[in-house]
Amino acid sequence: MDALATNLVTVVEGVAFGLLLFTLAVGLSLVFGMMDVLNLSHGTLYLVGAYAAYALSDGSWWGLVLAIIVGTAAGVLGGGVLAGMTLPLSKRGHLDQALLTLGVAFIAGELFFEAFGHEVVPTAPPEALRGSVELLGRPYPIYRLVFIAVAGILALAVYIAFERSTLGALVRATVADREMVHAMGVDTRKVLFGVFAVGAALAALGGTLGAPLLAPGPGIDERVLVLSLVVIVIGGLGSVRGALLGGLLIGQVQTLGVSLLPDLAPFLLFGAMLTVLVIKPAGLVPAGGRR
Amino acid sequence: MPARTNITWTRRTRLPLIASCALALTLTACGGSSLGGESDSDDDGPVRIGLLVPQSGIYTALGDDMKNAFEMYVDLNDGELGGREVEIILADEGETADSGQSAATKLIKSDDVHAVTGVVSSAVMNAIKDMVEGDEVPLVGSNASPTDLVDVEYIWRTSYVNDEPGIALGEHVADAVDGPVYLIAADYQAGKDEIEGFKETFLPAGGEVEATVYTPFPGTTNFQPYLAQIQSSDAAAVFAFYAGGAAVDFVKQYDDYGLAGNIPLYAPGFLTEGGVLDAQGSSAEDIYTSMNYSADLDTDVNNEFVEEYVERFDIEPTTYAVASYDAAAVLDQAIAAVDGDLTRESLNEAIGAVGEINSPRGPWRFNEGGTPIQTWYLRQVSEVDGELKNSAIDELGELGD
Repeated sequence: MDALATNLVTVVEGVAFGLLLFTLAVGLSLVFGMMDVLNLSHGTLYLVGAYAAYALSDGSWWGLVLAIIVGTAAGVLGGGVLAGMTLPLSKRGHLDQALLTLGVAFIAGELFFEAFGHEVVPTAPPEALRGSVELLGRPYPIYRLVFIAVAGILALAVYIAFERSTLGALVRATVADREMVHAMGVDTRKVLFGVFAVGAALAALGGTLGAPLLAPGPGIDERVLVLSLVVIVIGGLGSVRGALLGGLLIGQVQTLGVSLLPDLAPFLLFGAMLTVLVIKPAGLVPAGGRR
Repeated sequence: MPARTNITWTRRTRLPLIASCALALTLTACGGSSLGGESDSDDDGPVRIGLLVPQSGIYTALGDDMKNAFEMYVDLNDGELGGREVEIILADEGETADSGQSAATKLIKSDDVHAVTGVVSSAVMNAIKDMVEGDEVPLVGSNASPTDLVDVEYIWRTSYVNDEPGIALGEHVADAVDGPVYLIAADYQAGKDEIEGFKETFLPAGGEVEATVYTPFPGTTNFQPYLAQIQSSDAAAVFAFYAGGAAVDFVKQYDDYGLAGNIPLYAPGFLTEGGVLDAQGSSAEDIYTSMNYSADLDTDVNNEFVEEYVERFDIEPTTYAVASYDAAAVLDQAIAAVDGDLTRESLNEAIGAVGEINSPRGPWRFNEGGTPIQTWYLRQVSEVDGELKNSAIDELGELGD
């Protein structure tokens, strides 16, 4: 019974982590799937939001709201700038995009660390969200439960917007066949810009809300990028459901997996990736089921 | 570490990823900066000291501490060491063995320094060991000191050997804790050194191990599964080794999941050293650590040092700062003692003959292996005047003999 409770709490933790990964990875996945742009500065967008939380979230509700607004707005701005920079390179292939976005990530990261210091910094969620509650007889941080609720709603909203709305159908059509959509008189550039901005905003929002879970500091941008890449490889490029499934799967692998198989912990992430790729080389839910 | 992902990367994207990694490596390798650096064979000219510390990457905070303290020593001595004008040539160690090695190569081969000091990462230390020994240039290392670094002639350490914080703590924990202890550490060389060091003194003193767990490094940010295991085990205490960002995550989550206050936490001092303590906040309260220094040691030398350091940099000195300050003191004494020509060879000989260093941490001297014989302290994180500090509460004896 005790072991069961331990593992159930770990499953809950895995959901929290998985939803954070979804928020981060979905933008990268859509931008890659749609625009064919490999944005290696995606982790920097997490830093944008996370440092907004550090700078503005002072322990009051207003601080949190302000951090969310500023973080998300900065994310939209960052996404727009990145889209503008990479779009002219779309004909020149991934290598040029990778070089450009990685350069942006290096410079932006270093600017952040010059401004906010080279140490990991703390964030202060509102007083009411601190502390813990009993969950199956064990203390569990309130903030993480609230995070699960908020990120869950966010995931649902993104899912409906992209997979159940007319606008979403347009986006999915652009992923599937950009030329055809363009031929039908739609300005695909606007769609591409919009998706880049929304994806970037989600990553930044993930940073603002996720800062207490994954504190901003040197190296975090790389870690976020790597995890996001793993999630979209597993989930399948350019699909919201894939990002959600991949995020939740990696969340469980990283919590329940290492809890049950501690000796294999260093290999679990890559083991999961390998397994999925052997069975479904295009990922669990590739966009439009076309590959 | 983006390089780790390309193992299973799909063909479509493998090239850009590899190219990006190559670019990343190139950029870090070129990051070494230089101030001055003219080759100068005139014996009356300034003595050239290469300061090899991270100016970029995840270890930058440590690098800053070490740079500040070294420069402060030189500054307090009117820009001189051993009565000779000093030219400090700064090079960026970066965060990988490669970046550190190319920066060291530049210092030793083209800047032609008389001696090198600094080096944060053990990986860098191992990578440059052969060059340092082969080129016979004295290296007064002020942080990295892997356990397997032995039989060296030109490498000295003013810090401590990696396994010593664990060795210092083992017997005390065996006495103080009534029940088995859970050992957890980051899965890399330093983590293993600390755990092995701890067991070396803990087991003979009658200590009992509940479990030994290594968490993937780098990349573990979520310690909940491990903490849940600790909670449902019979552990009466935890011994943990983490540093930097991982130390912040571990300590905060130890508190978040209700372990703080219930299961005492012991650790090598890095867990709560320097800037990480600010980020941990009240979560770190009552953690016990072992270290060769605490800013609150009440000696004249230390009080003066802390006052000057706080005045200049507005933060309390860390063990990293003290080790670098002492590296300057070692060079100061050695350069003064060189009779006749100052060469790498004569300087190295003089370092070997340096006697006791009257350090802020207390007096210490080099042992045969070139690492300090020094006193270790048990520290506890507590609030002093509204600020969290590592307060020395007991001595753990002398190590290094």
